[in-house]
Amino acid sequence: MTIASTKAYAPSGASAPVTVSLRHVGVTFGAMGRPVLEDISFDVREGEFLSIVGPSGCGKTTLLRMLAGLLRPTVGEALFEGLPIIAPSRQRAIVFQDYTNALLPWRTVAGNVALALEKTMPVKAQRDARVAELVAKMGLSHAADRFPTQLSGGMQQRVQIARCLSQEPRIMLMDEPFGALDAMTRQTLQDELMALAAERRTTTVFITHDLEEAIYLGDRVIVLAANPGRIAETIEVELPRPRNQLTTREDPRFLAHRHHLFGLLQGH
Amino acid sequence: MKRLLNLLPPLAFAGALLLIWHVATDMRLVSPVFLPTPARALGDLAARFADGAIWEPLGATVQRMVLGWFLASMAGIALGAAIGLTPLARDLLEPTLEFLRPLPASAIIPVAILFLGLSESMAVSVIAFGSIWPVLMSSIFGFGAVRVRLQEVSALLGLSRTEFLTRIAIPSAMPDILAGMRSGLAVSLILAVVTEMQASLPGLGRDIFLAQRSFRSGELYAGLIMLGLLGVLINHGLQIAENRLLRWRPQRS
Repeated sequence: MTIASTKAYAPSGASAPVTVSLRHVGVTFGAMGRPVLEDISFDVREGEFLSIVGPSGCGKTTLLRMLAGLLRPTVGEALFEGLPIIAPSRQRAIVFQDYTNALLPWRTVAGNVALALEKTMPVKAQRDARVAELVAKMGLSHAADRFPTQLSGGMQQRVQIARCLSQEPRIMLMDEPFGALDAMTRQTLQDELMALAAERRTTTVFITHDLEEAIYLGDRVIVLAANPGRIAETIEVELPRPRNQLTTREDPRFLAHRHHLFGLLQGH
Repeated sequence: MKRLLNLLPPLAFAGALLLIWHVATDMRLVSPVFLPTPARALGDLAARFADGAIWEPLGATVQRMVLGWFLASMAGIALGAAIGLTPLARDLLEPTLEFLRPLPASAIIPVAILFLGLSESMAVSVIAFGSIWPVLMSSIFGFGAVRVRLQEVSALLGLSRTEFLTRIAIPSAMPDILAGMRSGLAVSLILAVVTEMQASLPGLGRDIFLAQRSFRSGELYAGLIMLGLLGVLINHGLQIAENRLLRWRPQRS
């Protein structure tokens, strides 16, 4: 694997259009509350995979909810394709960590994926075909008629990802999506997600508290510090794609990133 | 086979009760004016089925009860959704409902008679008033318990208020709604019988009342057994409907 081939997947850097832009954003809950996020500024470029990592309580989830439009910044400006983010939009899909709560337990796998399409694809036959395609893409065809309670955690999270993909979002916002899964399932889903993102060139913001996951997946990693949540550092991940659970994690550059960021997170 | 075996103990218990009843009446421990032998009570019931005399009062009672229960359920779900989902409706309605709720439905009967006379609509109103509470209370709870996460999913997918209601809120509250409707149906049977007795409307309740007045104890107990059977049948029917509607829920062992 040469460095040159990696650029086939990587975003075109500074030349790619900006999808999301944050300018000195701060979030405070309540009139007199302490700020949860303070002076956050960064851009996410089209096709980029951005990891955001930080200790618990650093406002990672708040940041993602703000990008989704579920809450508004107290100060500063959050722009999506040049326009202020003021409300949720189908163009910005969010994958929640608690997949059990985010799925409709009374709908089958196919029904859950269809939920996102019922508005945009009123013709049932057409919709069913699209749902089947997405369900197959996530490796769930054999479980299409099962209910979420009959599925493992990893499969439930796949359903949620399929539902988000069906929105055909301009950006995928992922809030520690694999945090509740076992190590094996987690690795499988990491690789599936990377393959999907590469194939569709989906812009992705991926929140995690797992440093290695952040480096392994990201084109760029933003490290947040806590109290108040602020950007401690941003690093470019210079690792070839496609990445590999074994070789990438043994790559000296991976280890160097890990050492560097580990120190930051420990506060040294 | 296993299911049949499971039926044995409860059947044996019911059989033992019938036996005690039989012995008590057969040995004249209780006067037959108050309590006929089970054979006579069941014989009277069978005879009423045989000559078709049971159908008219049975039909009248069931119709009244189901109509009142259905109206109560619809109103209860609608009000429950409003109160459970919107704080404004909750603040506006809840104090009044808290006042109305403890009123015994039978205490409403004189008022209902005053306004509606000894009519079918009087009976249906009283039944609806009494059986709305269980479904209303459980609907308020069910709609209030719709997960925040699902409300967010709804917002993120751009669902309208109506779409949120039909695709997320109602299915989410359905287990509670159905439990409330089941309790409401039991109340509606009670009130159907009470209104028939009070307003002398045709039905099983009035027949039982008249049988008692004229010391036809066989007929009296035949009516009671019929009501019991009706209750079992209805409950069983609703249970089947519930299992079907809620088949997504993990099976309780």
